[in-house]
Amino acid sequence: MGVYAISGASSGIGAKTKELLLQRGHEVINIDLKDGDICVNLASEEGRQEAVDTLHKMHPEGLDGIICNAGVSGACGNLPLVISLNYFGTVALARGVYDLLCKKKGSCVVTASNTISQGAGRMDIADLLNNIGDEKRVLSLVSQMDSSNLSVGNSLYVSTKYALARWVRRVSASWAANGVRINAVAPGNVNTTMTATMSTSAKMALNALPIPTKYGQECLMDADEIAEVMVFLASDAARGVNGNVMFVDGGTDALLNSEKVY
Amino acid sequence: MKPIEKYVQAMENKDFAGLAELFTRDGRICDYCTNTSSQKEYHIYGQEAINMFFRNKFGFRQYSIAEAEVVNDTQAEFIANFGGYNVMAIATVREVDESGLIKNLTVRPK
Repeated sequence: MGVYAISGASSGIGAKTKELLLQRGHEVINIDLKDGDICVNLASEEGRQEAVDTLHKMHPEGLDGIICNAGVSGACGNLPLVISLNYFGTVALARGVYDLLCKKKGSCVVTASNTISQGAGRMDIADLLNNIGDEKRVLSLVSQMDSSNLSVGNSLYVSTKYALARWVRRVSASWAANGVRINAVAPGNVNTTMTATMSTSAKMALNALPIPTKYGQECLMDADEIAEVMVFLASDAARGVNGNVMFVDGGTDALLNSEKVY
Repeated sequence: MKPIEKYVQAMENKDFAGLAELFTRDGRICDYCTNTSSQKEYHIYGQEAINMFFRNKFGFRQYSIAEAEVVNDTQAEFIANFGGYNVMAIATVREVDESGLIKNLTVRPK
């Protein structure tokens, strides 16, 4: 069976994905701040490097897949963390193990968000992330923003996820030419510890984002609904799928953006 | 009240559930005003979709109408506001069923 690394698998979508991979007989290495097989802080350059080095030591023969799932919401109140973990942590981890993926013709799955299609992100930030990629400069810019403003946090979150999805699209062709597929999953709002502990007003905002498959139920997506798709994209069954941003949101994106066929 | 009047009332009151109930199960709204606000058109098919769509748009203040005036049996004019961008619009009830539920309503720039 295969060897898969996954970040942020101590809880939520990542934990479900890890569980499914284990059920299918794979070896799974969890990279997380707490309770991981590799305990590091992917928001820091040192933490990212340690994760990459450890994976190389553990499996020099290569990886069958990496699932870059670690991230925080815009409501976490720590804007630098949103930038450093969601975007730079993900890209650095995926790039850092690219050689291991090449060895086994593996695949990479990145967690984006269905909010990327709802126009709430700041394209200037997304452009700086993708086109300049200077973490210190972006962090300096972000440090001047109001971290107590929920909409600022949310727009930064969306910007990081948009940039991630675009990064996936941009690198997908050359990675695939070298045998490595890369795709993104764009989940809708999911029942996790993070959403369970949200304020009442934040929950009301979540419920105003309709999930057609949950119509009339006032509930969010289940983590396993997302995890199933992540496992599929990481598997050989998805060998024809590359550079895809797959919305797993029960149809929210189709409802709000029916004309955006492509 | 005529269907167009009920439509205006529901829109003004941001009553997404009431709005949806004005339509047949497969009723639809096609809104072409968004093209001028650099968004894609809205084509919302089905009663539940209308409910969910406008719950979202009203909830996040992404759609409202103002200065509405019913101009005849099937049409109303209003200023449609798409997240701060105003468009003078005209809504037309194009088709209703035998019980007066709307099957097809279009909103176009005026």
